[in-house]
Amino acid sequence: MPRLARTQQSCWDAPLFSMANVIHIIFLLLYCDTIHSETTSLPELNPVITIRKDLSRGQSHVKVIEEPAVLSPQTIELLCNLSDIPNNPPSVTGYWTKDGQEIENSKETVNRNNDQYIFKKTIQAADVGNYSCVFRENDAQVTFVFDVPVMKDKRDKPIVSYTGDTVALKCTLKHIPKTWSWYKVNNTEKDLINVTASPLKYNIIIHKNVTKLSVLNLTEADAGVYICSAEFDIKPIESQVELRVLSFLEPLKPFLVIVVEVIVLVTLILVWEKCKTRQDHNTATTENDVYPEQTSKLTHSDSNGMETTTRQRKLEQ
Amino acid sequence: MLSVCLYLFLLLCLLNAVMTTPQEKQEQQQSSPQVMAPDGGWGWVVVGALFVASALVFGLIRSLGIFFVEFVQYFGESAQAVSWITSIGVAVQQLFSPIGTAACNVYGARPVVMIGGFLSGLGFILASQATTLSHLYLTMGLISGIGWALVFTPIIASVMQYFTTRRSLAMGLGFTGIGLASFAFSPLFQYLVEVYAWRGALLILGGLSFNMIACGALIRPIWNPKAVVKAKTSSNHNKCSRIHECFEISLLSHRGFLTYTLAITFFNAGYFIPYVHLVAHSRHIGFSEYQAAFVISVTGVADIVGRVVSGWASDLGKMRMLHMLTVWTGLLGIFLLLIPLGVTYSGLLVVSLAYGFCAGAMTPLAFAVVPEIVGMERMLGALGLLQFLESIGGLLGAPLSGWLKDYTGSYTVSFVAAGSFLVLGTLITSTLPHFWSCTSPSPPSPKSSQDASMEDGLLKQPLPSVPEKLCPLDDIPVLR
Repeated sequence: MPRLARTQQSCWDAPLFSMANVIHIIFLLLYCDTIHSETTSLPELNPVITIRKDLSRGQSHVKVIEEPAVLSPQTIELLCNLSDIPNNPPSVTGYWTKDGQEIENSKETVNRNNDQYIFKKTIQAADVGNYSCVFRENDAQVTFVFDVPVMKDKRDKPIVSYTGDTVALKCTLKHIPKTWSWYKVNNTEKDLINVTASPLKYNIIIHKNVTKLSVLNLTEADAGVYICSAEFDIKPIESQVELRVLSFLEPLKPFLVIVVEVIVLVTLILVWEKCKTRQDHNTATTENDVYPEQTSKLTHSDSNGMETTTRQRKLEQ
Repeated sequence: MLSVCLYLFLLLCLLNAVMTTPQEKQEQQQSSPQVMAPDGGWGWVVVGALFVASALVFGLIRSLGIFFVEFVQYFGESAQAVSWITSIGVAVQQLFSPIGTAACNVYGARPVVMIGGFLSGLGFILASQATTLSHLYLTMGLISGIGWALVFTPIIASVMQYFTTRRSLAMGLGFTGIGLASFAFSPLFQYLVEVYAWRGALLILGGLSFNMIACGALIRPIWNPKAVVKAKTSSNHNKCSRIHECFEISLLSHRGFLTYTLAITFFNAGYFIPYVHLVAHSRHIGFSEYQAAFVISVTGVADIVGRVVSGWASDLGKMRMLHMLTVWTGLLGIFLLLIPLGVTYSGLLVVSLAYGFCAGAMTPLAFAVVPEIVGMERMLGALGLLQFLESIGGLLGAPLSGWLKDYTGSYTVSFVAAGSFLVLGTLITSTLPHFWSCTSPSPPSPKSSQDASMEDGLLKQPLPSVPEKLCPLDDIPVLR
């Protein structure tokens, strides 16, 4: 790999890279307006990821969210660099905490090195958690948050389907896992879905970073929470989706309500018109007809005397 | 919620009907006995029916996009295959318009609209049981399309029959249903899909479409169906001549009608392009999703306002309806040409607002002008044929603009093409017979302000002694 040395003052520059083997990578997190740091690549064949964070004057707590790199067993080295301490003492003491608890025997005295105090800790990628280096002198600390990446496009709304129908549940991930598996939650227990055991019911398609579970011939018992699990070396990434199975009677209820409403409306309209016609017919015989020829012509017409209604309504108005 | 809106609107119209002045009486007395347009009274209830019907036809079509995501996911087909559903539906609605018109001529508007409402609902109910995409083509596309054809044009014709002096305003008010429904239906459909999945949602929408049957029931016929009258007055019961009359095929040799059809076809080609491409264009030049959506909302609101204002303004009678239509379409063409120049957000908003206003303004007039050109008794058939022939413009316009975008890489050329179509259509309307005269040439209108100068070419037969019922107008696609 070529040597790169560049100075950056940019936001969130986190290159992603892949797995395990014997690539030496320097992973640098840059913060927007505070620090500027350097990216150098070290010689190969060093399976360590180094994450370095600098604390300058005035900063007491810096939180670094470390996202998707942790997928395979690796050694990670955390570096906290404290600079600009007033009085410039020859050494400072600090300790590490994991998930808020102080790690035993982690207290260290760090010697000054060119006005900088560098505090290191080496951890294994399998030990995911929140690591913090804390400096006693000014209570400055940096927190590194490690976790497996979260699955994107989470569906918080349940998927709805009907009995007898087929539904497809899908999970995607940015990275390609070793394998995928599906579970159904049964009273807080995860049951693995076995396609070979019930081929008429389930069908799982796996295509690199996308997986689809098709549940055929749905019944009410199929409703519930399904978990798709992407298997990695360290820890699987899981995501869940809720499936709801409705019977066809459910949408039928509002449908019937609307149909009844329409029938009622139509009946009302037609009946009202008939009543008015009869009413106007009775009054028309006593009233003065302005257009006698037209009305007589209309009464001979095919339609049910509705023209009479309109005309005579106008006369009344 | 929709029922509530329906009730409120009907209540308003009923109140209006009850409170109308006896000016219709005056009109009756001064107009010739054969043509009688109440211009109020029950007419407002029919406007309410048009409001609901246009909401349930085109408001529904405009909001169907929400289902498409579900269809793509469920059937695993491409977005293009799924978008054919709307295309088939709209194409069927336009192509079957003459049949709807002819049926009106024979049976009257009321039964035709009621059957149309039933068919539209039936199409959606059957669609809820679909297992393949072709089922959806047949049910949502074909069956509902035929239903829409039988509903839309008849209802428009009925409104036109009921109004003469305030025709444009009535049409403008009726068509506001489309705009308001587009706003209301999107969240409603989203909710239905989330709770009931697309099958249940389609079933419920079918039920909603049945409300159009109630709209049809509201249309009280005021004239006899034309074919019935003709059958009585003439002894010629030849099938050919009946078809000839019902479909108004004689219009195809009418110069004014053909010119107008050509103009409308061009309008149709350019009218929809912004609706299809404006969002993509906004995102293309760098605005965010919400900004682009806001531009469309603003255009929609301006559209609604434009319809009502144009209807009201045209009814004032200051300018001839045809001239007003030319003004609006000319402005629309110019604004379309200006859209690519809107590079800043406020500039784009202003131009889109103006575009929306003009687009809305031209729609009621595009319909209301037809009786002026062909005469009242042939209006029904004219509208049917007009819809049928202008569908060519609709079918060509959007794909052409899409191809232009793929070819040139930006939407500028599409907008320029749309604008030029509209300008071309405007120029063609100027070649209509008696365009340059200051008064309207069509005599059947009982407007006392207009000079009833008979135009020789327009009316080939004397007016019958009993007014005829005009068939529902097919929906001119510009209204979508």
